[in-house]
Amino acid sequence: MKKSISCLLALAMLLGTLSACGGGQASSGSQQPASSSTGSSTSQPAGPAPEAPAAPAVDTVILKEADDKMINTYTLLAVNPDAPFVDADGKAVADVAVNTAGAEALIQWLLSDEGMTMAAEFGQADFGDSLFYLLEGAPSYSGDIAAATDETKTIRLSTTTSVNDSGLLGSLLPVFEGKYGYTVEVQSAGTGKAIAAAKYGNADLILVHAKSQEEAFVEEGFSYVLPGFESERLSFLYNYFVLCGPSDDPAGVKDSASVLDAFAAIADGKHPFISRGDGSGTHTKELSLWPEALGITAEAESFVDYTDWYTSANAGMGECLVMAEETHGYILTDKATFLTFQANGGIME
Amino acid sequence: MEAGAELALRPGFFDGKEGHTMQTALQKAVALILSGDRELGNILLVTAKTSLSSSLIALLLGVPLGIWLGASRFRGRQALVVLNRTLMGMPPVVCGLFLYLLFSGVGPFGRMKLLFTVPIMVLAQVLLITPLVVGNLETYVAGVAPAVRETALGLSLGTGKTFLLLANECVYSIFSTYLLAFARAIAEVGAVSMVGGAIAWKTNVMTTAIMQYTNRGNFSLGIALGLILMTVSLLVNILVSLMQRRLSR
Repeated sequence: MKKSISCLLALAMLLGTLSACGGGQASSGSQQPASSSTGSSTSQPAGPAPEAPAAPAVDTVILKEADDKMINTYTLLAVNPDAPFVDADGKAVADVAVNTAGAEALIQWLLSDEGMTMAAEFGQADFGDSLFYLLEGAPSYSGDIAAATDETKTIRLSTTTSVNDSGLLGSLLPVFEGKYGYTVEVQSAGTGKAIAAAKYGNADLILVHAKSQEEAFVEEGFSYVLPGFESERLSFLYNYFVLCGPSDDPAGVKDSASVLDAFAAIADGKHPFISRGDGSGTHTKELSLWPEALGITAEAESFVDYTDWYTSANAGMGECLVMAEETHGYILTDKATFLTFQANGGIME
Repeated sequence: MEAGAELALRPGFFDGKEGHTMQTALQKAVALILSGDRELGNILLVTAKTSLSSSLIALLLGVPLGIWLGASRFRGRQALVVLNRTLMGMPPVVCGLFLYLLFSGVGPFGRMKLLFTVPIMVLAQVLLITPLVVGNLETYVAGVAPAVRETALGLSLGTGKTFLLLANECVYSIFSTYLLAFARAIAEVGAVSMVGGAIAWKTNVMTTAIMQYTNRGNFSLGIALGLILMTVSLLVNILVSLMQRRLSR
């Protein structure tokens, strides 16, 4: 008796969830009668009305992109095994295990012809455009790459969400792993957290995108120059951040001369803006784009006067995009996440 | 044709799976399972491994402790009960942070290289769940202990046999407690994401995967995983409820 009651309860809960989700989907579907007819065929051609927004359910659109100020540079840094590691109490720790040989091999491969070409071509086969571009004058490597040994087999790569979520690492790493026998464990978080993980001795190398934080990392002695390279910071890929906002663009950022003007216009008109607020690379970039007079920094006190329009979400990119969509706000985002969000119609239930 | 527009018309690309915006989450979930997606299989396996072992270990530790705490009378018992009830409310992230610092490369146990592995996720969940098991058993045993003690006294049973008699009384409650422990383990995200790191093919479980997909803006895949998680939970509940019915009474 008890069994059947508990089963029934669980089943009822499950059905409740299902219908709730189904309802949410159905309503978003009804807003898109045009595409729902083609939705059932998986081989839908990209043909019909490509200039129209792909998913009308999402009102947030890209307003500003490919501005010099919006360049998003990705940098590799090897973790120095003799870095001044300290534990949670601030006491120095001497013997932190860092897989330097593995980190070196991965960096060498990523900067080799094969790695760079694959990175630059990532995305081309599928939609005719790269998601990442090779930086001019990027460091390169052409020598031998050591194969894995039992001790160097596992490489801990701490990285930012964009390179992992876009699928870049997923397409590159298996080639490297297959060829040299390593296993790369990818931990993806915001740049701030990725760097923190390395400082706690939990990463062998990092791949991040926030120059100021990288420079601080080097200055504190957490990175070192690999043999054959000239700098600790090995910047090799770039792409662009995009400024997104509601399609009716109340702040008029689309017509502003530069992205700095666009941010000034948003602040002037007190239009809602969603900030990641989590110390990620995207957050760091956003902080550099506000008019200096506002004095917005990562510190909570710095924007206490702007809370009527400036929202510091302290959340991931996807969650922030949902907030921007809901509040008709502006947001700085990496293009890859925005396109996924748009393709999914901003469904959040 | 503008490249950006073409990009946006390719839903489901970034997750690397075939899928369509208009598919309902349910269809997506079913399609995911039927496609035999290897990564989903791995996530399910790691989830099962982690939450089954942590809930079983917590049960093994917590049941004797709970029965002992509920049945015995000594000075400080009440203090222990209050301490345990406090631990029952320990936030998973606090537990995760605690272990993260202990097992970090710079932490005292850094050399064990346990961070970002399944064993430390199990350890975190055991720390979280054991107090729940103890608390649940203690509450139940405290209720039935006087009667059992009287019976044991009448039959002049020793301490060991009294304990077994009590344990026998608790079988039904133990099953319910196990379900509670398992539910907490499989639904938990704060601690496992912190000490596990949500590493693909290694420590990514259902809840952390759902978080990842949400952060990527891929909500429908998140819902699909959520539905699968609910279904797994339902199946485990049915199974344990059947065992509970058969083994008790």
